[in-house]
Amino acid sequence: MIEARGAALLYHDHGREVYACRDIGLRVSEGEFLGILGPSGSGKSSLLYMLSGLKTPTSGQVLVDGIDLASLGDEARSRLRLERFGFVFQHPHLLGYLTALENVVLGASGSGDRLVEAENRLSRLGLGDKMHRLPHELSGGERQRVCVARALMGSPEAIFADEPTAALDHANGHAVVDMLRQERGGGALVMVTHDPSMLDGADRIVTLVDGCLGEAAVAARPGIEPGTC
Amino acid sequence: MASTFLFRNAGKTIPLVAVIVLAVMLISGIVAMIDSIPLSIRTIYRYSQQMVGITPRGDPAQTPIIRDRIEKEAPVPLERVMVCRATGAQVRSIVGKWPFVVLGLAREDMTYYLDRMGSRGINGRLPETGKAEALISEPVARNLGLRKGSLLLGPVQDGAYSPEEVRVVGIADTDEWLMFTPIEYQRAHHFPPIDVLLVFAENLPDQAKLDNWAVKAFKGERAQVFVYQELERDTQDMFKILYKILNVVIATLVLVITLMMAMLMNIYQSQRLPEYGLLQALGYTRRQLLSRAFGETLVVVVGGWVLGLLVAYSLLLVVRAQLMTPQAFALDPLDRMAFIYTIPIPVAILAAGALTVWSRFRRFDPVSVVERRLV
Ligand SMILES: Nc1ncnc2c1ncn2[C@@H]1O[C@H](COP(=O)(O)OP(=O)(O)OP(=O)(O)O)[C@@H](O)[C@H]1O
Ligand SMILES: [Mg+2]
Repeated sequence: MIEARGAALLYHDHGREVYACRDIGLRVSEGEFLGILGPSGSGKSSLLYMLSGLKTPTSGQVLVDGIDLASLGDEARSRLRLERFGFVFQHPHLLGYLTALENVVLGASGSGDRLVEAENRLSRLGLGDKMHRLPHELSGGERQRVCVARALMGSPEAIFADEPTAALDHANGHAVVDMLRQERGGGALVMVTHDPSMLDGADRIVTLVDGCLGEAAVAARPGIEPGTC
Repeated sequence: MASTFLFRNAGKTIPLVAVIVLAVMLISGIVAMIDSIPLSIRTIYRYSQQMVGITPRGDPAQTPIIRDRIEKEAPVPLERVMVCRATGAQVRSIVGKWPFVVLGLAREDMTYYLDRMGSRGINGRLPETGKAEALISEPVARNLGLRKGSLLLGPVQDGAYSPEEVRVVGIADTDEWLMFTPIEYQRAHHFPPIDVLLVFAENLPDQAKLDNWAVKAFKGERAQVFVYQELERDTQDMFKILYKILNVVIATLVLVITLMMAMLMNIYQSQRLPEYGLLQALGYTRRQLLSRAFGETLVVVVGGWVLGLLVAYSLLLVVRAQLMTPQAFALDPLDRMAFIYTIPIPVAILAAGALTVWSRFRRFDPVSVVERRLV
């Protein structure tokens, strides 16, 4: 469904060229749970941004259903993100002046039964009695669960999660990952983390080191192979 | 959706709206007050719309000749031609004292004149023929603080001289400004000994035709014609320069306010960048977010503007009731000029706000927000 071909992301840092990712070849299949592991600064977030259309590769391509994302305009790429993708970021970003429910509604476009869906999502994530609270009235874990509910809105084909558990304790982190796994329906889940234990249920895990990719079969755990350039 | 933020962040919205309200109030207030001056001139001398006044020049014997000519040549039917004398008094305005004419009229001419001015009656009575007595209208009484028995003209009255004390015996209930004494009294005691003609057409459109004709007919003749249109023209000329100065002042004011508001808008929109960044990351298009930001600005600006106009209107009503009406000064709380002068404020602020948002959006990476590199 989503495919990176020789994708690279190059930053210019005070005249110096820094590759956040280089020569990435990676497929995300329908419905799979793909884990991306790697140390800090290895380019995990950059890879996720390229796969989800938030960043355009400086060379190579990212294709969604065979269409090069770079060939799409800002408008079409935005629509793709809103309608077909879901996002959970490391920090539970919510709009402070909207209630949990209203924040979740933002996760899908169109009108109709968005409100009903949002209520259901929140209830299933255990926030049924808190959906009318403002974000500052929720705990960090609860806020991240609201973000999960928002990402699940509209049953996206792929959910991208960038260290969704980083700001949470171990138990809460696991709870959030489980929710993402169980509630995502048929959608793929691409999750970045530096904590291998969060990827227990993953179908496949790839590792990144210095922006280069290596693949490790789930079966091969715990000896996950590092990526090589 | 656009208003959700505004309502839930009243602490940020109210100061913004308040600044616009104050600016609109200030400008429309200033313009309405300045406009009240020419409006007062027009109101005070409006009586002259109903007639054309003609005085002989250099030769008092011209009056009957002029009268003859008018009665023969006038292009419209004449309702009445009367002879009067005139002396001067003063009325008060917010910019000092203005001259006003005290007409000396025959008793039956007074009755006709009052009728023509839409008088609804007299509190008191008409001056007795030949006596040192005066009739004034209600606005004059209010303006000068006169009542029945008050002195209108007198030997020591500033700018309202008469050798005898002329007291008010009646106050006419009309909106027009007027002061009468018996013509015989003025003939006996006032200078110059010139009979003035007042010529009334049957109605206002005819009167305007008559006025125009008179101005042309007596050009270069030994007669001076006084018509209302000339007063209008003179007033406009008089205020032309004042309005030029006013334009500069208001343009500067609008500029200052707009700069200030643009700065405020800039801060305000900067605080919203994380929100826009998040929404953009989630998949809202730049256009959606721009129109959302623009919508919010529109609500604030138009809301502030309308509110400002309402506040200004209420304030001018109070000013009129408390300060102007008691002295019969004219003030129009719905002044068109005052309204027009406020339009640059919302337009300029809207433009500044839109420009701010647009320029901030041009180079903006939502990733910087979700990565928290931007707080
Ligand atoms: N805007 C930028 N300008 C310059 N260099 C950047 C920029 N963003 C990222 N980088 C560099 O690219 C590399 C990869 O960054 P990235 O954020 O993808 O790492 P990461 O694996 O997500 O790290 P972490 O686990 O700490 O989030 C890093 O070396 C980083 O310094
Ligand atoms: Mg990262």
